[in-house]
Amino acid sequence: MTAPIIQIQDLGLAFDGFTALDGVSLDVMAGQCIVVCGPSGSGKSTLLRCVNGLERFQRGDVVVDGTSVRDCRDLPRLRRGIGMVFQHFELYPHMTVLENVTLAPIKAKGLSKAEAERVALHYLDQVGIADQAGKHPGRLSGGQQQRAAIARALALEPKVMLFDEPTSALDPEMISEVLRVMLDLARSGMTMLVVTHEMGFAREVADRIVFMDRGSIVETAGTAQFFSASQTERAREFLHKVLAKI
Amino acid sequence: MNYQFNWAMLITEPYFGWIADGVLTTLHLALIAWCIAFVLGVAVGSCRVSGSAVLRLFGGAYVELFRNIPLLVQLFLWLYVAPQLLPADTRLWWNRLDSVPYWTAVIGISFYTSSRIAEQIRAAMNAIPQGQFRAALSTGLTPVQMYRHVILPYAIRIMLPAITSEFLTVFKNTALALTIGVLEITATTRKIEAWSFKGIEAYTVASLTYLATTVAVIGVMTWLERRLYIPGLIRRGG
Repeated sequence: MTAPIIQIQDLGLAFDGFTALDGVSLDVMAGQCIVVCGPSGSGKSTLLRCVNGLERFQRGDVVVDGTSVRDCRDLPRLRRGIGMVFQHFELYPHMTVLENVTLAPIKAKGLSKAEAERVALHYLDQVGIADQAGKHPGRLSGGQQQRAAIARALALEPKVMLFDEPTSALDPEMISEVLRVMLDLARSGMTMLVVTHEMGFAREVADRIVFMDRGSIVETAGTAQFFSASQTERAREFLHKVLAKI
Repeated sequence: MNYQFNWAMLITEPYFGWIADGVLTTLHLALIAWCIAFVLGVAVGSCRVSGSAVLRLFGGAYVELFRNIPLLVQLFLWLYVAPQLLPADTRLWWNRLDSVPYWTAVIGISFYTSSRIAEQIRAAMNAIPQGQFRAALSTGLTPVQMYRHVILPYAIRIMLPAITSEFLTVFKNTALALTIGVLEITATTRKIEAWSFKGIEAYTVASLTYLATTVAVIGVMTWLERRLYIPGLIRRGG
């Protein structure tokens, strides 16, 4: 049996006396898509940021592809192997879409400009916005911006993708175009750790669903089981609210 | 009014040569001081938002020191006090330079202005969403690359209007250099008045010089703002 590509081990993080993560453990196997859900403030986004070392934790460790984040001496190198997509896209507004996607491949990975542009256009085409490459992000719709942000992460050809509420800032009609890109990605075998409230997406592709509350994992279950027979009252209550949306 | 206007004298020697020298001195004094101030300001401003407590302390001390002493006093300090702190042979070398007042003015105005630019840089960087920092780091850029390619270019676009004002202020602050003996345009004007008793003509030249340069600066900065305009992010205007 191969080792999990992400091993989160008893992770603990507190700031200003507030416990954001309290002993979280989770294994993700290569090729799996794990959906993390839970109420706001439950530590989901913080958990994602610990995986690529954007957040400093006090207890436990995260091991990504054999590298301990806690002891990592070369975080930029580690992060190149982990793509991340944000709720508010976070494209660089003063650069064109193409420049956004090629910046890190050129500066961090050392590709030539021509090679980086070739790779960038390949991924922009994959997410369906190659024709927008010369525009600035402010000229794109929210859905197009988020797809550009996904292409920016993919252009580094990461082993793992982290999604932090990628559709929460989008209008309803743009959610589906982003979800479709994510579905394709999951089906192509990308390892994905996705924080989302899109239960339709979870039902479609998630291998497992993790439910968090107040910094801890309350329940982790196979997708079918999570939706049909949640083990905890707290998860059932949450699911009811998310699915009913009122 | 018994005043006899004599505008024609302004284009006769020696006045014309003096005016030309004065205008040029004002222009290059302002430009050199501003360039140094901008580089220092960016560096100190970056210190103020850095992760290192030592750098933040240094940046804070620098800004408070140079921002809170009047520029006039700073010029006197640089001229009379600072050289006393130099080793003897360095001091001798400095005092033998031809244009000690000029370089003193460059140093004084640069440091004073850099403290103000540092604060504007800090404010602009604080206005950039946290997510931009995270996004840049998440793609494997080092912190230095992040500042160089993402944060600073973004911050400078946000602060361009403030930079324009600062540039205009530098031009006008160069007038203070006359107090330490630099013959820039205001000092030249006083000299012309003393020689010719034609105060109105002389001061008109100084006023027009400042007005013309600042209008030119505004023109250039407006062009730059258009060029660096971020589509969809910052409202075009002004």
